[in-house]
Amino acid sequence: MVSSLYGIGRERKSIWVYLEVESGGLAGVSLELIAKGRQICNQLGWQLAGLLLGYQVGELVADSFAYGLDEVWLGDDALLEYFTIEAYSRASFQALMAAKPSVFLLGATPNGRDLAGRLAVRLRTGLNADCTDLYMNPQDERLVCEVSGFGGGVLALIEMAQHRPQMATVRPGVFSPGELDRKNVGKIIPISLDLTEDVIKTRLVERSIGEQVDLTRVPVLVAGGRGVDGDFKMLAQLAQLLGGEIGATRPPVDEGHITRERQIGQTGVVSNPKVAICCGISGAFHFVVGIEKADIVIAINSDPEAPIFDYADYCIVGDVHQIVPTLIEILSAELEVSIG
Amino acid sequence: MADFEQAVGEEVLLIDDELWEQLIELTDGAAALCFQCGVCTATCPWGLVRQKPLSVRTLMRQAQLGLREKNGSLWLCTTCAQCEAHCPRGVNIADVFRSLRTVAWENRNPEKGLPSLLWSIFWNDNPWSQPPTQRALWANNLDIPIFNPQEHEVMLYIGCTSSYDQRAQKIASALVHILRGAGVEFGFLGEEEPCCGEAVLSVGHKHYFEEVAAKTAQVFQERGVTRLVTISPHCYDVFHNHYPPFSNGFQPLHYTQYLVNLITEGRLQFMKPLDLQVTFQDPCYLGRINETYQAPREILKSIPGVELVEMENSAEEALCCGGGGGRMWLETPLGERFSDLRVEQAVQTGADILATACPFCVACLEDSLKVRKTESFEVRDIAEIAVRAL
Repeated sequence: MVSSLYGIGRERKSIWVYLEVESGGLAGVSLELIAKGRQICNQLGWQLAGLLLGYQVGELVADSFAYGLDEVWLGDDALLEYFTIEAYSRASFQALMAAKPSVFLLGATPNGRDLAGRLAVRLRTGLNADCTDLYMNPQDERLVCEVSGFGGGVLALIEMAQHRPQMATVRPGVFSPGELDRKNVGKIIPISLDLTEDVIKTRLVERSIGEQVDLTRVPVLVAGGRGVDGDFKMLAQLAQLLGGEIGATRPPVDEGHITRERQIGQTGVVSNPKVAICCGISGAFHFVVGIEKADIVIAINSDPEAPIFDYADYCIVGDVHQIVPTLIEILSAELEVSIG
Repeated sequence: MADFEQAVGEEVLLIDDELWEQLIELTDGAAALCFQCGVCTATCPWGLVRQKPLSVRTLMRQAQLGLREKNGSLWLCTTCAQCEAHCPRGVNIADVFRSLRTVAWENRNPEKGLPSLLWSIFWNDNPWSQPPTQRALWANNLDIPIFNPQEHEVMLYIGCTSSYDQRAQKIASALVHILRGAGVEFGFLGEEEPCCGEAVLSVGHKHYFEEVAAKTAQVFQERGVTRLVTISPHCYDVFHNHYPPFSNGFQPLHYTQYLVNLITEGRLQFMKPLDLQVTFQDPCYLGRINETYQAPREILKSIPGVELVEMENSAEEALCCGGGGGRMWLETPLGERFSDLRVEQAVQTGADILATACPFCVACLEDSLKVRKTESFEVRDIAEIAVRAL
């Protein structure tokens, strides 16, 4: 096996987190990784550092300290204004080779995945992609990465014995972000960049953000069937309170109550939410295929014999038109209390 | 090509000799017989639901010449073989469609959503993305023995849909009870039952189908399976018509064919009268494609109190449910579902039950019935009706 550019002997005992910038702020997954990294660093007495690339992103540094970073390696350059794989991989590589951290974590976002793969090859190290959990084995200081395979049917725990940095991309939403503490301050270390325009082969022509929602990755899915009688406003309200999105079985889509993009099931979207709330859905198999990968399925149906209950973790027998408004009422009240 | 187009000022179609040769090989020259009369297009059920019918004739012409299909209608075909029933030249049209699909796969141009179907079969050995270890869960309370050629007359092949779809599981359970009622010694392969691969063939990935078929045939050979009874006509069709000859005595049967044998031998008798009017949907893969029209009707007629009424289109003219040819895994827009028309025809007969003998038909017809919101009318598989009369 090829050795990595630096190995165990030359590593610096620290965890690095790639700080992804998303609409002017730090991406949620980066905050989640800071929180996880902080926990491991506290356990081992290591340093936690962030790698921040962009243009005029200095004001995000204070935030990243407040979330728990000890230092931020900052590459601030006009050529880094937009993510291009050439510039970002070059800058990251330079920073990583200068600091030689033991661990480097990135979010499994489109850009994070792109960057991680390229860097791993350049550093001659391994990459545990799309992890669903991380923990540190304190005896040998090896990071254990949990990766699911075969459609979630198998979990693999992977360690990297010799190669450094131990790289991983982690799915957004796996960890919780930490608390903001403005008292935390750290050290800014500027990265010496040698970027020139001819390095960048990608030109940003136009930046457009689609309106489509990606129902495969929403945290909460509120799905309605024939039993909701087309009242998707009610479901949208519930979804909004829970930070989720609405979906539907085929009949409400056919009847025009909701767009085709939100059809869940074999011929629609196969969703992997944390929570799927199935309202007035009988549970035909070709629908169930679309929600059975949810961590938790809650079903509301007036028919106790409905097949959906066989797939649900929580079964509520009752009328959706009574239960959902009650849920909305309670959730709104709770939200008011927490805001107030 | 671009030069030509510039010269004539419109799109130019060029004959692709390689494609032409490939199609001849894949179809055994089936398309060559076609003399372009267009009866196929006229009889195709898509004409019932669309302004612009599926031009089967055009696709046949393209296959004859080696022209690439461009407008995407290739994936509409449900392989129902309605056109074949009328084709004066006896062309195996569905197979030409499957072969054109094979070429599309080779060019990495399949219909969206279908690659995941193949991956599911690759990883899970079923087209429904279900865990292979849960294949036999449905049978937990039924105590079906694992097939043993020394002890059992037949091996009951459940199929992926009846193993995992709760609705179709009811058909499997009913059939188990019927076979027990007739004193049949039978077993199944439990969670080790392999996928038949029909979904792969129907979406036209012929090369992968050959792999699946070879693997499954090997399992049957190792387990000593010769007489095999299927629940789905789709599984039956591939075993009967598309599997390699792996054993001399291999005899696949659809369960309706097997039950009729049992009735003739006097082993299966229905004692309980049902007092039902039943109409029957011929599944394409049982009827037109395998010419089994009488077996399901004879079962229904042998049940005391059951009166069989035929729909407007029946037997050779039966209207497809829309679920064949891989369409179970593709969305069909509202207003274009054959099953909506079929349920309408069924309700018109005044029958109490629309019977069929295929899990795909049950799924499609029941979906249409739900939308139609017809009270006191049911879609049932024949096995589900017969079990009530034991």
